[in-house]
Amino acid sequence: MDASLLIAQFMSGLSRGMMLFLLASGLSLIFGVMNILNFAHASLWLVGAYLCYSFWYLLQDYAFGMWVSIALAALALAVIGWIVEVILIRRVYERDLPEQLLLTYAMVLIIGDLIKVVWGVEDKLIARPPLVEGPVFVFGMPFDSYFIFVILVGFGVAIGLWWFLQKTRYGHIVRAAVYSREMVSALGIPIPRIYTGVFVLGLFIAGLAGAVQAPVGSITLGMDMAIIIQAFCVVVIGGFGSLLGTLVGSIIVGEVYAFSILFWPQGALVLIFIVTAVVLIIRPWGLFGTPMRA
Amino acid sequence: MNSKYFRITLLVFSIILLCVLVNEGYALAAEPYHLGVDLAITGTGALYCKDGVDAIKLAVEEINAQGGFLGKHPIKLFIRDTHTKPDVAVREAKDLILRDKVRCILGTYSSACAVAIKPVAQEYKVLHIAAISNSENITKINFSPYTYQVVPNSYMQAKAVVLGVAELAKKKGWQEYVTIASDYEWGRSTQQSTVSLLNQVAPDLKLKKEFWPRLGETQFTSYITAIMGQKPDFVIGSLASKDNVAWMQQAKAYGFFDKIPYPGSLISVSELIVQAKTLSRGLVGLCRAPFFAHMDVPMMANLVKNFREKYERYPSDWAVMEYDAVYALKQGIEKAGSIDTEKVKDALKGMTIETTRGKLFFRNIDNQLSCSSYLGVVADDPNYPFPIYHDLIEIKGPDSWRPEAEIVDARSK
Repeated sequence: MDASLLIAQFMSGLSRGMMLFLLASGLSLIFGVMNILNFAHASLWLVGAYLCYSFWYLLQDYAFGMWVSIALAALALAVIGWIVEVILIRRVYERDLPEQLLLTYAMVLIIGDLIKVVWGVEDKLIARPPLVEGPVFVFGMPFDSYFIFVILVGFGVAIGLWWFLQKTRYGHIVRAAVYSREMVSALGIPIPRIYTGVFVLGLFIAGLAGAVQAPVGSITLGMDMAIIIQAFCVVVIGGFGSLLGTLVGSIIVGEVYAFSILFWPQGALVLIFIVTAVVLIIRPWGLFGTPMRA
Repeated sequence: MNSKYFRITLLVFSIILLCVLVNEGYALAAEPYHLGVDLAITGTGALYCKDGVDAIKLAVEEINAQGGFLGKHPIKLFIRDTHTKPDVAVREAKDLILRDKVRCILGTYSSACAVAIKPVAQEYKVLHIAAISNSENITKINFSPYTYQVVPNSYMQAKAVVLGVAELAKKKGWQEYVTIASDYEWGRSTQQSTVSLLNQVAPDLKLKKEFWPRLGETQFTSYITAIMGQKPDFVIGSLASKDNVAWMQQAKAYGFFDKIPYPGSLISVSELIVQAKTLSRGLVGLCRAPFFAHMDVPMMANLVKNFREKYERYPSDWAVMEYDAVYALKQGIEKAGSIDTEKVKDALKGMTIETTRGKLFFRNIDNQLSCSSYLGVVADDPNYPFPIYHDLIEIKGPDSWRPEAEIVDARSK
């Protein structure tokens, strides 16, 4: 088999993995810090995609329209995240998981209907600027230039999150809150404010992920449900709350999918679930998670 | 005395009878026709079904403006969302029948949904007209006399593609190909029909590999690189709606269509409109009911005019076919002289109807409408704000549908 084909397939797997990482990192962060399993995360991701479309629609005559729209969508979803956290999420911090799931699942249904009201049911399409419209060639094989941007954003977010969590005071507090909320609280640090900040950051990344996804194909209702399962596979493989685990899990899922398409096209999705099941059996807390979380 | 009592009794009975008849007559005149719609208003099929629903509403408005079916049965619409899921489609179909008492269900986007609701419609003796979903299995096997199809089925579309592709393969010396089709009822049946027909028409062509992205796939990059790595002479695709848009967008970004011919994929008027700016010109596409092919038919001209006035856009294939479905039902009811489902079902059998696509008929053996498939080259046109098909080839229904003997054979197995 041609080496350039393997490289092209690796690149497409990597781009798929980065798309998943952008979605799953916010999901994992929120769960890791706040212990909230946000089932509506992908629905909010979809709102990010629609917001990107709306901004792009207003700015489409400008060369920078799409790039600015992506940034604006991420910021707008962060604001939405703040409102959602204050009004809804903070009321279920102390509740059991089923109640949290019930609330966030209700949010899925509400967001779905709100999208219908605001944007209608028609598919939305964003025309890419010429810079990312055509292919680039990697070892002689064409590769969609937009996905170079996706990969860069993915690694950029990974590095940014790592820097934030490891190198900043606020990041240290967030990490400490993962292990002992009481201790952090005893130090006089307001936990609710930390949680709000983490939720807003998670939704900022979800908004960015949705906006980055928007120019890939058409934006339509139901996209969230199609991707959330794979996002959960990512965090299960990587370990809930682990940034490195989410990154590695995303790349594993992306590459397994890409290479199974090459060698066993019928079994692409099945293989992802097999990998997830194997990890769950052997290491229930994921590759990079901690047993405490499990 | 007896005579007097007899006359009074007769008078009273006559008055009662008159009251009953008048009341009955009034009731009949006012009885609305409950028409169910089971379409994918959200999810993968929303791109197509929005147009379908709008066209149904338009047709209903037009008919109701004349008093409804037979001039006295105003149509009452009940619209449900299948979410492109067979279990939801069945649940909604049952609800439409049992709660809303519909006499006919128009649908569906997904062939899997159509196949799922067919036995439900048959069980409850309700008409079912498939106007978007087009797997030939909807009418070929497990035949239901209550199910009619007004869209060229997957075999007819495959045959149309095959005839065009075989011609091109001969001309260009193509030898190997791969297929990419959505992994569900329609994608599978269309791909299988195409491959099987190509084997018959051009036995030298070799199928190298099959790709089956799941329905609702958003990222095709791995498929694109894998297909390009196969270096086929051409690719045949059976993708629809949102999946098709995503595929076309992403494949174009890879320069796919410049390197590998992709003839005969489904590029309906919806894709022509939605991807007006981005669609590769020169692609050889397939569609089911392009309005611009029949602007000489008064009914089509009327639909385009009214649809544009009402919705400020052109009707897609899906709008055209759902509109035809309502008018097929209207003509069936007129022929039957009644809204009774059994009579309408019998009236539609083998009936020739006026449609936006001209005069067409339902084939007796499978209730399939003799509608055409269309192949053409995507090109800009000064008359429209989106590309349309040039060099349009119309492959008539009777030239492309499966021979009756094969249907009989399939049913006997």
